Amino acid sequence: MSLWTHYHTPATVDEALTLLAGYQGRARVIAGGTDLLLDIRHGHTPRPDALVDITRISGIATLRQDGDVMALGAGVTHAQIVAEPVLSARATCLVESCGVVGGPQVRNVGTIGGNVAHALPAGDGTTSLVALDAEADVVLDGVRQWLPLRALFVGPGQSRLDQTRDLLVGFRFRLCGPREGSAFKRIMRPQGVALPILGCAAWVRLDESGARYDDLRICIGPVSKVPSRAEAVEETLRGTTVGAEAVERAVSVARETLRPRTSKFRATAEYRQEMVEVLLRRVLPLAAERARTGEAIPEGVGME
Amino acid sequence: MSEKELLIGQSVRRLDAVGKVLGETAYPGDIDMEDQLWMKIRFADRVHARITAMDTSKAEAHPGVVAVFTARDVPVNEYGLGIPDQPVLCGLGSAKEGADIVRCISDQVALVVADSEAAAAEAVRLIDITYEDLPVITDPEEALKTGAPQLHPHAQGNILTHYRIRHGDMAAGWAQAEVVVEGVYRTGAQEHAYLQPEAGLGYLDEEGRVTVVVAGQWVHKDRQQVAHALGLPEEQVRIIYPAIGGAFGGREDMSVQIVLGLAAWKLRRPVKIIWSREESIIGHHKRHPMTIRAKWGATKEGRLVAAEAEVVADAGAYAYTSSKVLGNAHLMVCGAYVIPNAQVDSYAVYTNNVPNGAFRGFGGPQGAFAAEGQMNRLAEALGMDPVALRAMNVLKDGSITVVGSPLPPGVSLDRVLADGAVQSGYWERPDGQWRRQPVAQPADPARRRGIGMALGLKNIGFSFGAPEGNWATIELYGSTEIERVVVREVGADMGQGAHTAFVQMAAAAVGVPVEKVELLGHDTTYAGDSGSTSASRMTFMAGNAIKGAAELALEKWRAEERPAIATYRYNAPRTTPYDPETGRCDPNVSYGYMAQFVEVEVDVETGHVHVMRVVSAHDVGKAINPHLIEGQIEGAVIQALGYAIMEDVVTKEGRILNPTLSTYLIPTIWDIPQETKSVILEYTDPRGPWGARGMAEMPFIPLAPAIVAAVHDATGVWFDRIPLTPERVVVRLREQGLGVI
Repeated sequence: MSLWTHYHTPATVDEALTLLAGYQGRARVIAGGTDLLLDIRHGHTPRPDALVDITRISGIATLRQDGDVMALGAGVTHAQIVAEPVLSARATCLVESCGVVGGPQVRNVGTIGGNVAHALPAGDGTTSLVALDAEADVVLDGVRQWLPLRALFVGPGQSRLDQTRDLLVGFRFRLCGPREGSAFKRIMRPQGVALPILGCAAWVRLDESGARYDDLRICIGPVSKVPSRAEAVEETLRGTTVGAEAVERAVSVARETLRPRTSKFRATAEYRQEMVEVLLRRVLPLAAERARTGEAIPEGVGME
Repeated sequence: MSEKELLIGQSVRRLDAVGKVLGETAYPGDIDMEDQLWMKIRFADRVHARITAMDTSKAEAHPGVVAVFTARDVPVNEYGLGIPDQPVLCGLGSAKEGADIVRCISDQVALVVADSEAAAAEAVRLIDITYEDLPVITDPEEALKTGAPQLHPHAQGNILTHYRIRHGDMAAGWAQAEVVVEGVYRTGAQEHAYLQPEAGLGYLDEEGRVTVVVAGQWVHKDRQQVAHALGLPEEQVRIIYPAIGGAFGGREDMSVQIVLGLAAWKLRRPVKIIWSREESIIGHHKRHPMTIRAKWGATKEGRLVAAEAEVVADAGAYAYTSSKVLGNAHLMVCGAYVIPNAQVDSYAVYTNNVPNGAFRGFGGPQGAFAAEGQMNRLAEALGMDPVALRAMNVLKDGSITVVGSPLPPGVSLDRVLADGAVQSGYWERPDGQWRRQPVAQPADPARRRGIGMALGLKNIGFSFGAPEGNWATIELYGSTEIERVVVREVGADMGQGAHTAFVQMAAAAVGVPVEKVELLGHDTTYAGDSGSTSASRMTFMAGNAIKGAAELALEKWRAEERPAIATYRYNAPRTTPYDPETGRCDPNVSYGYMAQFVEVEVDVETGHVHVMRVVSAHDVGKAINPHLIEGQIEGAVIQALGYAIMEDVVTKEGRILNPTLSTYLIPTIWDIPQETKSVILEYTDPRGPWGARGMAEMPFIPLAPAIVAAVHDATGVWFDRIPLTPERVVVRLREQGLGVI
């Protein structure tokens, strides 16, 4: 039983948009297909008449560094991200999150754009892109524009992008500079194939002295219905001295402000609450240490 | 050395290796016939309900649909390995009364046969069924209570089976007990998760026999059950297994066999079915969850003097092999030890859950989880080394077990324990005293390492008086010398390599290289009944049959018969069932003995348990093919690791909430031990072919209690419930003040 009738491989964004428009809602965008094909097979997504494969659009699968800014095409795979030395050094959390997704086959075809478009509250790559304050290059309602990544999410699995009409073209974010560092860790079970129980990415900038947090961005998911920043936790740390005391303050604010929920067979809210604390204790010191030393070696990527 | 001696003990390459690696081997789903139709099954929509009306007209009118079958189409509408307590199809108009009730979501209600799989899938949803809900009961302890809904007329109080053991004098035993440990042990359900979901093809063969091509574990039993339901003589039914994609006990009961036979017989056309993973997980049984209450006593020197236990097993909605599995758990709950005074009561209880049944270890893992848990706690309470405590109490040749009889000759537990402990590297015995090496701890204080061990025994062959034996035929072709050997032996090779072992043993028995031997297997028309591939019995039983047939054929060869053909049935020594009052019996033909040593790392903050290393020591009697044995050890260890740590069938009101492999989590390459060391020991089994014992279930059995002991060693906390999901671990650790900053 075929999951679709027609399959297109446009070479340009315009061509893709024309194809989608022509099918009037009966076509869907596909990149790696690691989520979409399962969703169609399980009946969570209706069988489309056509699939529009965007991975052959010129430039959509490339990484481009322009000074301190990194641009990623939406069709860049998890494996490409993991293999990029600049990202390992200067966007470490993204490499760490993309490195734990699925198995090698999934990382070889699954794309960062697909991860974001799927709009799960705990998409690994998404969690790190939020911490890196990424922007998305999209065609929304026929208008090509840059939007903050967080503006794309409506609810669990619901994106502002209509995948029968709109297009996610790419991302950009600032690479870590001096006194900046990032880290990502997740709780999962078993190691590898399953959706995470909880993931946490943090980006940290220290002040000139290296002793205080100048700024932070922390994304923990799934906590709310969309990928979101732990703003109260960030706020309590800004300007304070780096160290165990600060981490414990962050933990106690997280305890008061973050309310993870139970998912039927993945984890209870109580366990997730505890793991928010464990992850903060592991991720914050690591990100701060990377900011202090300017050195970062991604942890937990692929087989160890 | 002769050719014979050279072949036994060699890691002959698997006969199926090249085909499987190249993807050329055909499994049931890969086989097609011209003019074939496709079948889809409508499973029960309710957990426990009476069907009051069924309208199939919309399905029948759907384009492409050839036929819809319901309960009224099944000639003898019942089946079951233990007792025929399940309708083939639940619904109205059944020849057997009472088939209008569905008792679990695995019940099959209707079949749609169409000219395409898509048409069958669409039409099967169009059948309108009206149900009248009945009270659902999913907790076996609740099902035992007075006033609980009764699920089957033949099972008073929902009790399918109750066994007893009354051995020695309990009052005297407890009077001698200076140290007593008690525990309540709970084990979870487990899904077989074989690579190949159920599939098959039914057709009429050239002789008009109803033929089913399917993956199973026992061609003759499948034939009997298909014939029974269709009301046909067994000779009118033929079962063929192509390559089988794993089984582990999960293919012992019927899945698609009867319904394929029924449709092919009615339509006189080939009919094919392939189950999805979800259909597989919902459509076949699971490992029995059990609750075991145990109380053991010992003298302060460590000698066991008394044991009491109660076992409650959730049978699920139908009998399947529950009585047999319970029988084994009932025996194993007292472990591998001399216990002069013992009292055990075990119950298999009907509920509306998916049926529970055969799964590698067959009640042994549940029994060992309690027995070895008790021994490890007793060692702690006595301040004794766990190896030393076991060495003092293990059964030896001539020891009387709790069922009043000795084990069959060739008991090697003491040597398996000692050899395994030393080869694990974790224990030493420099001056006759067992001592454990200290374990190196990681720098990160959240990660704690620990070491644990457990041992066990497992029966080989059918137990408790069931007739046990195996037919084989050997045909010798040639004139002056034997040019070709045909061995007819239909025992199932589920992927473990049984066929390779058969050929190797036939070659050794006749005295020719393996290249000269051809196997005719997996077809009821080729040879007599082999019994099932289960109970770690196939090497033992088929080996004895092949050896016997070869000896007879060689006699004929020497008498100048050409070809020289001999058929032989190996009859195993008789066993006896439990005495209903005392449990006294001579339960088994033979046993395998094993001990496991495990190192774990526990993340006390997240509750993740990682098994770093497993040393698995086994008395296999004689290793016919060492590589195949290592494959079984490594596979069983990983499967048992899943059972102990992560595999969790999540149910709500009798429905499985995680019927996919993205939500029912089995170990991946990141979860398995960095090292699994196989210690293969060869203490001859006087009853086994070339001294061999069965071994394929054994590495599963002690792993969970060994892991629990290692987690205790790492954290100081005992766990009495598996799987050790991170949540459960975190809750218990926090209660003990661990992992909190």
